[in-house]
Amino acid sequence: MSNPTAESPRRRSLRWNRRELPGVAMATPGIIGLLVFVAIPFLVAIFLSFHNAQLNSPRAPNYIGITQYTRLFADAQFWRALGNNLTFAAVVIPVQTAIALGLAMLVNQRLRGISVFRALFFLPVIFPMALVAVIWRLILARSEGGLLNSLVHFVTFGQVGPQDWLGNSATALPSIILLSIWQGVGFQMIILLAGLQEIPQERYEAAQLDRANRWQQFLYVTLPGIRNTLIFVVLLTSILAFRVYDQVYILITSGGANRTATQTVLYQATTSVFDQNNLGRASAITVVFFAIVLGITVIQRRLVRQESEA
Amino acid sequence: MKHRKKAGASVVAVTTAALLLASCSSGGGGTSSAGDGTGDVEVWAHQGKDTEVAALQDAVANFNASQSDINVKLTLVPEADYTTTIQSTSADDLPDVLELDGPTLASFVYDAKVAPIDSYVSQETIDNATVGNVNQGTLDGTLYALAQFNSGLGLCANGEMLDAAGVSYPDSIDSAWSADEFLSALETLAAENDSGYALDIKENYGLGGEWGTYAFSPLLQSAGGNLIADNKASGVIDGPESVAAMEAFQSWMPYVDPDEDDAALVEGRVAISWCGHWLYPGYSEALGDDLVILPLPDMGDGTKSGAGSWTWGMGSTTKQGAAAGAFLDYLLNDENVKAMTTANGAPPATESALAADTLYSSGGPLELWGQQLGAGCNADSITDDCVTVLRPLTAGYPVITSEFASALAAIATGDDVQSALTGAATAIDQSFADNNDYE
Repeated sequence: MSNPTAESPRRRSLRWNRRELPGVAMATPGIIGLLVFVAIPFLVAIFLSFHNAQLNSPRAPNYIGITQYTRLFADAQFWRALGNNLTFAAVVIPVQTAIALGLAMLVNQRLRGISVFRALFFLPVIFPMALVAVIWRLILARSEGGLLNSLVHFVTFGQVGPQDWLGNSATALPSIILLSIWQGVGFQMIILLAGLQEIPQERYEAAQLDRANRWQQFLYVTLPGIRNTLIFVVLLTSILAFRVYDQVYILITSGGANRTATQTVLYQATTSVFDQNNLGRASAITVVFFAIVLGITVIQRRLVRQESEA
Repeated sequence: MKHRKKAGASVVAVTTAALLLASCSSGGGGTSSAGDGTGDVEVWAHQGKDTEVAALQDAVANFNASQSDINVKLTLVPEADYTTTIQSTSADDLPDVLELDGPTLASFVYDAKVAPIDSYVSQETIDNATVGNVNQGTLDGTLYALAQFNSGLGLCANGEMLDAAGVSYPDSIDSAWSADEFLSALETLAAENDSGYALDIKENYGLGGEWGTYAFSPLLQSAGGNLIADNKASGVIDGPESVAAMEAFQSWMPYVDPDEDDAALVEGRVAISWCGHWLYPGYSEALGDDLVILPLPDMGDGTKSGAGSWTWGMGSTTKQGAAAGAFLDYLLNDENVKAMTTANGAPPATESALAADTLYSSGGPLELWGQQLGAGCNADSITDDCVTVLRPLTAGYPVITSEFASALAAIATGDDVQSALTGAATAIDQSFADNNDYE
């Protein structure tokens, strides 16, 4: 600690002057919230992951070292769940963002009744995911009467028979991806729409004077104009994509969805703790998952930095 | 230099965590007492069908009106969340009287959440309970719970459709379909039906939940396999007999209606429904005399069926044992058992009510299931004569059922049977090893 360059900022930070005090005071509630609801539970999870802890058992957890982790890494089901999560994210993040941008540009026009369209596209967002999953269960039902099967039957003049969309391992995850995008895309659309409306109209006029065509306008005016919004949306979509749980849980437990092909890491964690009382395993799963998601987020932040507002 | 502050914070956090854990684990310990037999009695129950809820609410209201010393307060919890609610409530916060799903009892005893009831309910009530009822509620020789009703499981079929397709069907326990006969019956029936389906296995309940274990683990036992034996699942749940049973189950899936509307049999889309007693009232009304009640398929060692249902116990920290016992005596009298079993079509779990029952006794429409329940046993002592097998009475049951039902659901959607069951066996054995066999 003899490094002189390290000494001075330290001394400064210890001496709170009058100007810094309100800032510290205002940050305190937020920091306490983060500590109580994020940091401490996470540390408890790390602690529990080295123990055999049963949910709400009167017995104290006993230390079993890294057993939970070695089992986890040897468990094919866990790797499958992680793979499902990554596949889901890899498809949903680009596709949902692209569709959201397309929709936002569509509803960013001055037409009569455009707010009706905006509301319609936004509508699925206000439905709870549980409701969406139950509706899509009927759409994807494997019987002839299933809505999607009826449609396929009609469009192909009866050449294609009923498919088990959720039960078949090839179509189960794509089905979940489809309904998730349908439910979530409106939210990203609204955020991007706000970004689009921030772009001054003069830039488009200037571009037109320069004889830029539509595609060039999109590339050199629209995209740079919503860069920060877009980065925010991608980050948000990534976090939501890794968190996918509700629809998977509902469709596996009551929709006949293929468990192997659709389970996610969070599904495994909740099953471990709530169905099997295995708090230690669930904690180990969340710790591993946290590390993975943190790593991906850090890489993402490195790759695309938001420009700070001038 | 920020690191030092962070380290300080994490020391605080770990200490807090340890304290939290310590406070969590201090609860429970089984300190029930009789009390003076007066005052409020808290009761938790699952919110089943409307008719069941009405029967229970009536019983509570009548009990409160019948005397002035005890006031029962009933709280209903949705069925889907009921067991999780009990699991995640600490023993100190549990009510005086609580309903439990039979197979979960052992894990609640293990977690010290329920109290022995034999000193609080009257001997008369205990003596009147059926053997299966007492078996379900007894662990290590101590009685923890008594039920109003048992459960019946078998096949409900449309006799007219079977006759029309030229499929002959069994009329007794001994003549149950073999696995091959059942498969060929399904093939014939599916070919005859416009829907292309022949069987309803109540997939809408979710095969991955308790229904999966209740309804389909008897297939393992009928084939000579089991869920677990001597606290070991490897070689049992994934042994050749169990695998054969589940492969047969998988071969039926092409003929199974997904039944999103819970009406496959009633609407005539299938001729056979895997059927619990609670379906009987609706089926009977819709099909009338065409409804026939059959045993489950015989996978080799004689047909086996499920048993056990919701049962009543007491919270381990109740201070109202005497008053709670008086309420349970009342709940288990003939009048209330009859009201409940009329509401849900279940077989009564008391001798006197069973004797007076017209559905399950000799000559009644559900006589076959009555006979099945007469030949009951525990899962660790299955005999050739035994038909209804209780789910394993072990505190590790939550893991067993979760793993088996998940494997069953995976098998239904086409996963490899052996690997699905071996995965379940590994997870169950790990859990038993970690927890000292839940002794």
